[in-house]
Amino acid sequence: MNARALLRMTAPTREDFEIPYHEIGPAGAPLRLALVSGLHGNELNGVFVLARLANFLQQIAAGEREGTEVLGRVRIVPAANVLGLNTRSRLWPFDGTDLNRMFPGCDAGETSQRIAHAVLEATAPAEWRIDIHSSNAEFEELPQVRLYDPSEEERRVARWLGLPAVIERTVTPAASATLASAWKLRGGRSLVIQAGQAGSLQQEHCERLFRGLIDLLEALGVVLGLRLAEPENDVHFFGARQIFPLIAEHAGWFVSRLEVGQWLQAGDLVGYVYDGFEGRLRAELRCPVSGLLAGLRRQALLCEGDLVARVLTRQAFAPAVDTFLDAQGQ
Amino acid sequence: MQTRCEAFFRLELPYREGLSLERAVFTGGGAPRVAVVSGIHGDELEGLYVCHRLAARLESLERQHPGALRGSFELYPALNPLGLDTLQRRVPIYDVDLNRSFPGHASGLLPQRLAAAAMEALAGCALVVDIHASNVYLREIPQVRIARAFESKLVPLARRMNVDLIWVHEAMTVLENTIAHSLNERGVPCLVAEMGVGMRVTPDFAEQMVTGILHAARELGALDPALELEPATHVPLVADDGNVHYLNAETSGLFAPAVAHWNAVRKGDLLGTVVSPLRGNVLSEVRSPVDGVLFTLREYPLVYEGSLLARIMRSEETG
Repeated sequence: MNARALLRMTAPTREDFEIPYHEIGPAGAPLRLALVSGLHGNELNGVFVLARLANFLQQIAAGEREGTEVLGRVRIVPAANVLGLNTRSRLWPFDGTDLNRMFPGCDAGETSQRIAHAVLEATAPAEWRIDIHSSNAEFEELPQVRLYDPSEEERRVARWLGLPAVIERTVTPAASATLASAWKLRGGRSLVIQAGQAGSLQQEHCERLFRGLIDLLEALGVVLGLRLAEPENDVHFFGARQIFPLIAEHAGWFVSRLEVGQWLQAGDLVGYVYDGFEGRLRAELRCPVSGLLAGLRRQALLCEGDLVARVLTRQAFAPAVDTFLDAQGQ
Repeated sequence: MQTRCEAFFRLELPYREGLSLERAVFTGGGAPRVAVVSGIHGDELEGLYVCHRLAARLESLERQHPGALRGSFELYPALNPLGLDTLQRRVPIYDVDLNRSFPGHASGLLPQRLAAAAMEALAGCALVVDIHASNVYLREIPQVRIARAFESKLVPLARRMNVDLIWVHEAMTVLENTIAHSLNERGVPCLVAEMGVGMRVTPDFAEQMVTGILHAARELGALDPALELEPATHVPLVADDGNVHYLNAETSGLFAPAVAHWNAVRKGDLLGTVVSPLRGNVLSEVRSPVDGVLFTLREYPLVYEGSLLARIMRSEETG
């Protein structure tokens, strides 16, 4: 088996636990890529895709897929928050801390800081690092790359994943303790991916993500002999001033027939809001801008001030509200 | 003195109910305004009780010393009412830490709207005291925590607060989204008070804090300078990141303290043990690494490897 442990720890009332990872590729070869998911235990897409990817690469490394070869080493941590995954909890379940707000961590600190430290130390040395997230249980994200103050090289390589959108942002204070921020402080190259919605698997997003990662591995020269994604994949880049959040001003039921990935025209219907108790129609929500529907609310219950949709626009506009809150996936 | 209780912010919830933020305002003259906020974390109740005790003191003051209130007091006991009412630390639905959502945005998402409403309401205050109650795991002695950037302005105010400790800590980027940082950045002096433990009320600590707030308010001119108050008997130690020692659990298990909170300890003293619930053995001992004062002590017994058990401020003479 190729499974190893980033960290082994005692538990108060059950057997010792560990955070396992896969190490695939020729021993002694450069560590080309580190993939992390499941820092949030309820974000399943990344965990599933990385487990499947590990199996796929393992088959190649074992010579079971003719004409293919793993040339570099790949380190895969499908779930950093193991207890969170097993208990369906976004946070580290014992004390409710967000593992992705614990970086760079500390090997002598709180449990969650120790986990963060172990994840960072295991992944930072890789030439490329990718952290995969899946929004929250209320909101579905079109598979997309998020870049934070990126280099030209990161911009170029982000395209190789073939995901439909690449968003560039700057790091906010609240995001300064994320894995992505800690990687950046260490230098080197890294990407963040958002795909789908927490709490369940969305098979279509998983397949897209899997193909994108295989494509990237091939383009980076880590794997030879594979290319799964369609080469004409349409990739669009958007800056921080091209992210339009549609925010509800009425509470009630939100109902929509749209799917993420659709292109909207200004004035298009996004959905309806019905009164929670009386059931009457309160509002038709229309998108005031044209663009790519990159995120859509999947929770029907709607508060005043809730995010309904996120639309990526061709034209830049005045800086809007930053709707990328803590619990919105990263 | 005029007293009014009012909702200063309201938004709609999906099914019939609304979410409102409430405050009580006690007005003597106009300025200065002294505000107490609490309940940003829904599992911290100490500040709510401080608000109650302070309201009782102000009402009593009005009967016994009419006219003693020169400025005004504003109490904001529950900035995260949904969290408090559902026993959740974070903002329910969003699962967001409200104290990482400041300064907020009036047309943003729900937590940002709560934050923006609080910022708008508190603008112009001469002093805001943001009361926290640690969490459910750790008990804290009444203290004020101050970011280094605001040290010179806030430490003199904190010395009036009748607390046992002032902790000046280094800047942390992630704390830039707190209410205290946001208010201080905008020129509204805000002290972060920590006391007690989550989900509980410690009446003695509340009385101590009320006395401190009244002293600070009198100093600022919100109360008649001639008004006699009970003496502020607590003289704070001043800690910084260089003299605070953290004791983390070496093993998982049950923590059994061997000392009381807020005690002088000597290097090597046994502070507690981590024991196994399965066997009669001790898994690890917790001993003080220095001479000092134990100001944080684990309240919740179950621990994971790494769980914080205690914090000690090292005594000066031990270097």
